[in-house]
Amino acid sequence: MAETEARPVPAANRYVPSQPFWDGAREGRLMLQMCLDTGRFQHPPHPLSVYTGSQNVAWRQVSGLGTIYAVTVVRVPGPGLAGRLPLTVATVELAEGVRLIANIIDSPPERVGIGAAVELAWDPLADGTPYPAFRTLAQGAADAQD
Amino acid sequence: MARTDVVIAGYAETKVVYQSGRSAYDFAGLALSDLLEKSGIGKDEIDGLSVTLALSEGTNPFFAVYMADALGLTPTWLNAGGIGGCSAAGGVARAMWAIREGACRIAVVLSADAPSTAFRANYGAYRPEFQDPQGVQGPPATFGLLMSRYDHQYGLDPRALGKIAITQREHALRNPNALDKFRKPLTMDDYLASRSIADPLRVLDCVMYCDGANAFLVMSEEEARTRGIEKVAYPTAYSEVTNHNGADPLADITESGFYRIAPKVFAKAGLTPAGIGMFQPYDDFTIAVLMQLEAFGFCGTGEGSAFVRDTDLSFSGTLPLNTGGGQISAGQPGLGSGGLNLAEAVRQLFGEGGDRQVPGVRNALVTGIGVIPYGRNWGCSAAMILEV
Repeated sequence: MAETEARPVPAANRYVPSQPFWDGAREGRLMLQMCLDTGRFQHPPHPLSVYTGSQNVAWRQVSGLGTIYAVTVVRVPGPGLAGRLPLTVATVELAEGVRLIANIIDSPPERVGIGAAVELAWDPLADGTPYPAFRTLAQGAADAQD
Repeated sequence: MARTDVVIAGYAETKVVYQSGRSAYDFAGLALSDLLEKSGIGKDEIDGLSVTLALSEGTNPFFAVYMADALGLTPTWLNAGGIGGCSAAGGVARAMWAIREGACRIAVVLSADAPSTAFRANYGAYRPEFQDPQGVQGPPATFGLLMSRYDHQYGLDPRALGKIAITQREHALRNPNALDKFRKPLTMDDYLASRSIADPLRVLDCVMYCDGANAFLVMSEEEARTRGIEKVAYPTAYSEVTNHNGADPLADITESGFYRIAPKVFAKAGLTPAGIGMFQPYDDFTIAVLMQLEAFGFCGTGEGSAFVRDTDLSFSGTLPLNTGGGQISAGQPGLGSGGLNLAEAVRQLFGEGGDRQVPGVRNALVTGIGVIPYGRNWGCSAAMILEV
């Protein structure tokens, strides 16, 4: 696969209605889907609550604070990866009890490890649309145990 | 008691080839033609067909129907297997259910794919919006994440993963159907020096997409006996699970669906890990093999590295592992890959393993893995125990 294309901008609302995620991103807010019956978040979004099966779900802003649950560095070229390799990818566990796969940017490599505290950052797509990423917190302990 | 009324009465497998320039249909024709010739079954006697969905025909919702057309078959039972690397063993299980139900009498379970020639799959779902922008475009990044978490929780010895790759490569050397490129010896230094794809995942931990096909003949034991078919394998246990832990966003990602199905297949077959004669696991990545050794109780959770280091996994060893080389060393014929390890299990049980024959083997544990879901391990897990 060529590593020539810029990071493409995906179409919203193809899988499930996701406009709030994209509107939130443009305002610098990370919006995720919440089951209103249980108060639990879910991600990626689903067509119903995976906890209850009801469609009583809505989009809510999350704090953007979390810890790294798993982390890798992608070193193989692919579409939209132009100029982004090596690319740090982490599974981030948010304070709200849900995990996101996200890039870790602007962080000292020695701090990027499992258990490290992270905060929301924004890493734009090809047309400038902000896309959620994370950076390690200055006070976060990279060797923290979760 | 395990039921033994329906059997695998034949198998066929093409050589695995990189960029063959041929289609899944063409490979399917090759496998079916070989199966008919070896079994003496007439094409028109086949009234059941299970087809594994293929990456090379990924946009075609009628692939299985076109396959029946391409092969000149008129099945009264048709199954399109959409559980990836579980589709071959899952197809055999479904064929057994269909035969018991009377939906067909003689079924072919066929997996053919040619993704190194044509890749037409579009995984869709949440991936374009919530996974591709992060550069998680294929399984390597997901497996890099899984390996990092496993290492954090239990410790992961790269040399154990290297031993899996080397052992399977030694088996591939003895398998004429293996990809030619993989038919040369591999050393630990080669493994440790192989480049990182998604840390800590090395290129030699991975499979490579190739082209190929395999096919299995499923019928009642009585039907096989009536026809004078002497070599049969009894699938005495099968279990599968899809989307294990899928509704728990904080589940331990090192806990795969195999933890759920392993006790079921052992109970159905009346066997324990100690009684398994050979292990033919789905091996898209070396870590998946190691994690399955733990999930099936060959060793404790987190003890996989030590177990691999201390166990002779060669075809003549204490727990023969992927004796045909597995996908890692024979090549991954796309989504037809679930049949690769199944074919090797049946070949061995028929005593046709040649210079890699497991001495006196009476049973096999075969597994499948399918789909890479968001932020977990794999989406489908399947296991079958075969006996003779």
